[in-house]
Amino acid sequence: MSKLLIFIASRIVAFALTVVIGVTVVFVIPRLLPYNPVEAQIGFIYSIGQFYDPTAIESLRQTLYELYGLRGNPVEQYLGVWRRLLTLDLGPSIMSFPTPVATLIGIALPWTLGLLTFSVLISWTLGNIIGTISGFFSQKKFSKVLTGMAVVLYPVPYFILALVLMFTFAFLIPIFPLGGGITIVGVGFSLDLVLNLAKHAALPAISIIIPGALGWWFLSSFTLTSQKKTEDYVRYAELKGLPNSIVLRRYLIRNILMPQTTALGLALGGIFSGALLTEVVYAYPGLGRLLYQAIINNDYNMIMGISLLSILGVSLATLLLDLLYPLIDPTVRYR
Amino acid sequence: MTLIPRTGVDALRFLGISLARFSSIFLEVFRTSRAFRVGLIIFTVTIVLGVAVSSFSPFDPRRWYLVPPNKPPSLEFPLGTTTNGQDVFWLLTWSIKNSLIIGLITAMVASHVGLILGMLAGARGGLADRILMILTDSFVVIPSLPTLILLAVLLRDVMTIPLMGLIISIFSWPWPSRQVRAMVLSLRERDFIATSIFSGYGVLGRVFRDYLPFILPWHLVNLTNTVLFAISSEAALAVIGVSILSEATLGVMIYWALNYSALFRGLWWWLISPVITIILIFVSLFLISKGISDYSNPRLRWQARG
Repeated sequence: MSKLLIFIASRIVAFALTVVIGVTVVFVIPRLLPYNPVEAQIGFIYSIGQFYDPTAIESLRQTLYELYGLRGNPVEQYLGVWRRLLTLDLGPSIMSFPTPVATLIGIALPWTLGLLTFSVLISWTLGNIIGTISGFFSQKKFSKVLTGMAVVLYPVPYFILALVLMFTFAFLIPIFPLGGGITIVGVGFSLDLVLNLAKHAALPAISIIIPGALGWWFLSSFTLTSQKKTEDYVRYAELKGLPNSIVLRRYLIRNILMPQTTALGLALGGIFSGALLTEVVYAYPGLGRLLYQAIINNDYNMIMGISLLSILGVSLATLLLDLLYPLIDPTVRYR
Repeated sequence: MTLIPRTGVDALRFLGISLARFSSIFLEVFRTSRAFRVGLIIFTVTIVLGVAVSSFSPFDPRRWYLVPPNKPPSLEFPLGTTTNGQDVFWLLTWSIKNSLIIGLITAMVASHVGLILGMLAGARGGLADRILMILTDSFVVIPSLPTLILLAVLLRDVMTIPLMGLIISIFSWPWPSRQVRAMVLSLRERDFIATSIFSGYGVLGRVFRDYLPFILPWHLVNLTNTVLFAISSEAALAVIGVSILSEATLGVMIYWALNYSALFRGLWWWLISPVITIILIFVSLFLISKGISDYSNPRLRWQARG
């Protein structure tokens, strides 16, 4: 078997293991705790003080056990979770009964996916280019200013920066709307529609791009470049009299792309979580917003569905990224 | 026969040496790194606010309608008041305290679990090592927030501040254990490890005697980073509405400010106070950890000076 095939097979096995472990964690941990969500719900209904027919309560209890996947012995419950996940039959949403959870997620998903893909691609590319150049010219003034900024941006979580940006550009200097995904501008596809979409997506996207490009990816590529530029092969290229632009392009960026692609794969989960919160802050109609509404309305089914699908989705994205890796790293491609 | 007590005594002895090394690292970093000094000063101020100043609060700042609502900052209310009639300044000091407690619990539990598992797996190798690797690799990829939200929703009725710290720990041990294992693997082939093995030291003896001193500076960095991760995770959970909404934490303050549309209504002091505090805590802790890691990585240290 060729090296490439082994590489692909090992990635797929890792993907499968991740999903299995993720789903198992989500399944096992709630069951380890001495606490029964169904009885808590029933207790809540009693505590409101209304009178309920005992048979009605009993049927509600059965429905809840069914919905929470707590019926039958643990093995049956575990298999039930898998069956629901694999058939994408996540049950009805409680807050907008009886629309299925999968339908609502399907409506919200394109918003999140669009925002995330766009911002991650831009922030990763921009961050690596700026970081490598600053790392190469680390004694220049602009490089010192950028590192200073990165030290502030790097540790601050996405949604905190989103709040700062919202305060600055929607409250102090109101050039962007305070929230929402789109305001209705008429029927059909038009330039207005696109502009409107872009205007609403601008701040959420900037909130994901800035900390990534000027914080995270900047600092990691800056550090990598600072280390790599003292290596012998870079010295050699400089002594050979190659212009800086070629040393940067052929000797540094290429070698930095590999660890940075791996890092992107590892960071996807965190970026996804950050994007969910950014959506909540800006009331952007994606998965984060849906999750927020589900929590307010105690829609356990929806929360469970989004958690399970997030594990599946992020692992799948990591797998795709891993499969692109041979395009960048020739040592994986050839025997 | 003599092996077991010997490793036990050694473990204690070298833990003692490690503690001494902790303080010497601290002093040396303080002397050489400006980032560390700046970070330490800002962080000390927030600790004083959260631990000392908060205990002087004239009333329980979590209670509603003790002061007039919606007042802008003034001499009487230095950071204004909220729509719920809470004094933002006192609420902020309590929030700092609770957020720091969550961070500290997670750092104590998760980073030590990660450290010990990583060292044992790396030093031992074999099946245990492989299982740990599969686990940590998966945990790193799994998006932590949706999973934490699910747990927090299930535990909503029994949630306390310490329990919050423990739940966040579930996602904070795999990364350190992965890194520690990698460091142990790079040390494993060195001569002094072989010397230890032939001198009859067991896995525990080697871990405490040989590996721990090398990993300690990194562990210090990781402790600060775990505090960061925990505070931001709690704030994230709070923003989405699943933290302990009757308690005072930095995240919960942000939640209520957003919930009452503080910005829309011009009550900027309510939202901006916890946001700026979080940024100060994060930047100061990051500067502290940067100072230590620059010190422990001579290659970067040289760069920083040159």
